Amino acid sequence: MSILSIRGVSRTFEAKHRAPTLALESTNLEVAENDFITILGPSGCGKSTLLRIVAGLDRQTSGDVLLDGKVIDGPGADRGMVFQSYTLFPWLTVLENICFGLRERGLPREEQLTIAHSFVKKVGLVGFESHFPKQLSGGMQQRTALARALANNPRMLLMDEPFGALDHQTRELMQEHLLSIWEAERKTILFVTHDIDEAVFMGSRVVVMSARPGRIKLDREIPFAHPRHYSIKTTADFAALKGELTEQVRAEVIASQALVA
Amino acid sequence: MLFFAVWAVATFGGYVSKTFLADPITMVKSGYTLITEMGFLKDIGMTVWRVVGGFLIAAAIALPLGVAMGAYKPIEAFFEPFVSFSRYLPASAFIPLLILWVGIGEEQKLAVIFIGSFFQLVLMIAVVVGNTRRDLVEAAYTLGASDASLVKRVLIPSAAPEIAEILRMVLGWAWTYVIVAELIGASSGIGYMITNSQALLATDQIIFGIIVIGVIGLVSDLLFKFANQRFFPWAALGKA
Repeated sequence: MSILSIRGVSRTFEAKHRAPTLALESTNLEVAENDFITILGPSGCGKSTLLRIVAGLDRQTSGDVLLDGKVIDGPGADRGMVFQSYTLFPWLTVLENICFGLRERGLPREEQLTIAHSFVKKVGLVGFESHFPKQLSGGMQQRTALARALANNPRMLLMDEPFGALDHQTRELMQEHLLSIWEAERKTILFVTHDIDEAVFMGSRVVVMSARPGRIKLDREIPFAHPRHYSIKTTADFAALKGELTEQVRAEVIASQALVA
Repeated sequence: MLFFAVWAVATFGGYVSKTFLADPITMVKSGYTLITEMGFLKDIGMTVWRVVGGFLIAAAIALPLGVAMGAYKPIEAFFEPFVSFSRYLPASAFIPLLILWVGIGEEQKLAVIFIGSFFQLVLMIAVVVGNTRRDLVEAAYTLGASDASLVKRVLIPSAAPEIAEILRMVLGWAWTYVIVAELIGASSGIGYMITNSQALLATDQIIFGIIVIGVIGLVSDLLFKFANQRFFPWAALGKA
């Protein structure tokens, strides 16, 4: 039973004095409960556009997005989002940032704090509750953003290259971290990335998108059992799968560069 | 310091006639006389009261209007042309008109300061609120924020330190307007004392008056800065 249905969704950007750009071709995708779908593609392929449409931050030109059978019409707390840029509210402490959505829902203060503290613990930020975002490293800020989104108990989590701005080592730790949270909570996740390693390691399904105009080119189950240990990255199966996906993505990157040239 | 040194040399050395520029010591002495014998403190009080009063009225109306204009495009489109036009009208040019309308009483002083600061405040606040980081707004929406709470919980707190900075700056301008208003038509205040002294060629008193204005401006500036650091500790982070 799918929780999210993307049906014939396309996006055209209108521009003055220029022909309109088709960013996303008519796309279909069914997301089942507890899926961890990673969306791979060259930059500018419309993968972020697709995610923003699901979030309700952008509007499709045609088609429908349904969450639990209901048409999505604007952003809402049922779809938590973690952005690539650091979007913690700089005037709020870590704890208050995590409370943001809970307070919006009008939960009593006591309950807000209990929930917020439990997520501070889950993302490993005990001791940093009263720090302001600017006092945190990039990785810690993104962990707070993850906690903020999860604390709201959304139906699904949308992640737009959330580790894109982090250094390689932090990034790998964050991947393991997110994976272990997913293994424990089994939230449904849509995760956009251009990092093939990341997509294969975390995803239960990988979707590869083509160069602009974006469309889904490949949709593949990732067979590795959970819980996954970071050491699977060095296994032959992992390498084979990664190799196959690399070929697919590479072709698209070359195609997209040809478009630019 | 250099300023005082040059001033002292010019006056004590006899390079400048005492009629045009008094020396520092005479200035301090006559300042003391002004305060002890001529009730200058009351003048200072009047001027401060006018600035604060006019400025508070302007800020009280400009804040909600500026925030509303920054947050909602239709409201901005409605008010913007008028406010943009009005802010180029020099407040001092309104003084003769205001005297005709409301006389030379307190209303006139308050009105000059109001005209001088209100339109500037509205436009600058609208710009700051309108420039709130787009990704923060989007993050708030995905956390379930409504339009009303977006204004209250994101736009206002995000713009608050810059708004405080704008208030500080415009308050400085309000000081100029009050003196101009008092120079033209008043029976009390620092500006009034300065015009009176001009008639008596008392440059020592004029300079004392100007320095008093400077000191008060400096103090209010420091208070604002202190309050900003106190209320918005997060804004200073990462700047250093």
